[in-house]
Amino acid sequence: MQREAPEGPSLLATARDALLQEILPKLSGTDAFTARMIANAMAIAAREAVQDDAWMEETRTTMQRLTGTTDAPDRALAAAIRAGAFDPGSAHHAEVVALLREATRMRCAISAPRVLGKG
Amino acid sequence: MDDARRAKLRDWLRGATGAADIELGAMSLLSGGAIQQNWALDVTLAGRGEAWVLRTDNAATLAVSLPRSAEFALLKAAFAAGVTVPEPLFLCDDTGVLGAPFFIMRRVQGIAAGHRVVKSETLCGGRDTAVRALGRELARIHRITPPRADLAFLGAPLDDACLTFVAEQRRALDRQALPRPVLEWGLRHLERTAPPPLPPVLNHNDFRTGNLMLAEAGVTAVLDWEFAAWGEPHADLGWFCAKCWRFGSAYEAGGIGGRDSFYAGYAAEAGQAVDAARVTWWELAAHIRWAVIAIDQAARHLSGKETSLELALTGHIVPELEWEILNMTGVPHAA
Repeated sequence: MQREAPEGPSLLATARDALLQEILPKLSGTDAFTARMIANAMAIAAREAVQDDAWMEETRTTMQRLTGTTDAPDRALAAAIRAGAFDPGSAHHAEVVALLREATRMRCAISAPRVLGKG
Repeated sequence: MDDARRAKLRDWLRGATGAADIELGAMSLLSGGAIQQNWALDVTLAGRGEAWVLRTDNAATLAVSLPRSAEFALLKAAFAAGVTVPEPLFLCDDTGVLGAPFFIMRRVQGIAAGHRVVKSETLCGGRDTAVRALGRELARIHRITPPRADLAFLGAPLDDACLTFVAEQRRALDRQALPRPVLEWGLRHLERTAPPPLPPVLNHNDFRTGNLMLAEAGVTAVLDWEFAAWGEPHADLGWFCAKCWRFGSAYEAGGIGGRDSFYAGYAAEAGQAVDAARVTWWELAAHIRWAVIAIDQAARHLSGKETSLELALTGHIVPELEWEILNMTGVPHAA
């Protein structure tokens, strides 16, 4: 037995199309703005539902290695960056750069694929 | 607004204007910002029609925003300095009238909505003249310098606006629920590259497309003064030019026009050239500041105190701001 299809992402995509193509043209002003916000929220939720979460665990592992901290390595990384530990010229500068870029890429893939040239 | 409040408002306005003969006409909500509400208010005063705006607080307000009385004083100072602002008329600090402080200003005509302004080829006589005029407006704001008894609520000017900015944003991040390594990265870059202090001027601190009302004939209003503070002139120039406030347009000065024309308008009125490197510093600062505000706005939604789709979506602006922060700090795209 499995869940009944269509599942979440497909339902969201179809519902979003109905909102944009059938409802939005009949709206104006604040209502049209709200409808666009709803469509945007549905798109974010749909992308989130299909993203492979593995990057978050990989990011966590890398942060643990770079900071030597097991608990809350993101907090340790933030503090170390603030203290200048990963400034240009430091030993792990390039690794932190790569980590930040990759994590931000994955965050943008959900929230703002446009900046990645997608969506 | 219900009849009881309208009656209270009419009575209060009778006192403020000194006109026994005052009638309130239609009131409609112009914009319900995240922080303030603006109501269009038509009034007949001794037989003469007046078009006003009533500005009051929304349910929840940002801790960093100034009270209405302060915004009113800033409008008066700006009006006197020749900045194009709606003429401020009356201030009411008594919460017994409408439930929150409010003030009345003259209503001006024009378009402020960012997505409309950046698409227009004709507002203010075209893109080039528009950004020149806006540069001049900003330079007039910067002619307001401390000390000013009427602006005492702004406190003492900062010794070093750049390093103070870094410290304030770090404090704001420390108050938030999650650590933000990319914003820390940007702040550390700013700290390492901060230019030396300049003499303080009044910063509008939200001088950007969306808060600037334009008509075909010219600029009609510089709006939303609630973040004003003493600071460094390039902070406003950077906020206006920052990519995050171009509404998707390719024009670097607020999405409206060319950066050179904006700088030229500013320099002509200020009597000194713009330091482009300082503007770049403040453009990075702008992305960080907007990200910190966006996180705070989303937190209001997440807290359950103010469920709002707009606030919720504002949180999702943060990743693209972080992307730009990495670009601006020289982080290559390929990991």
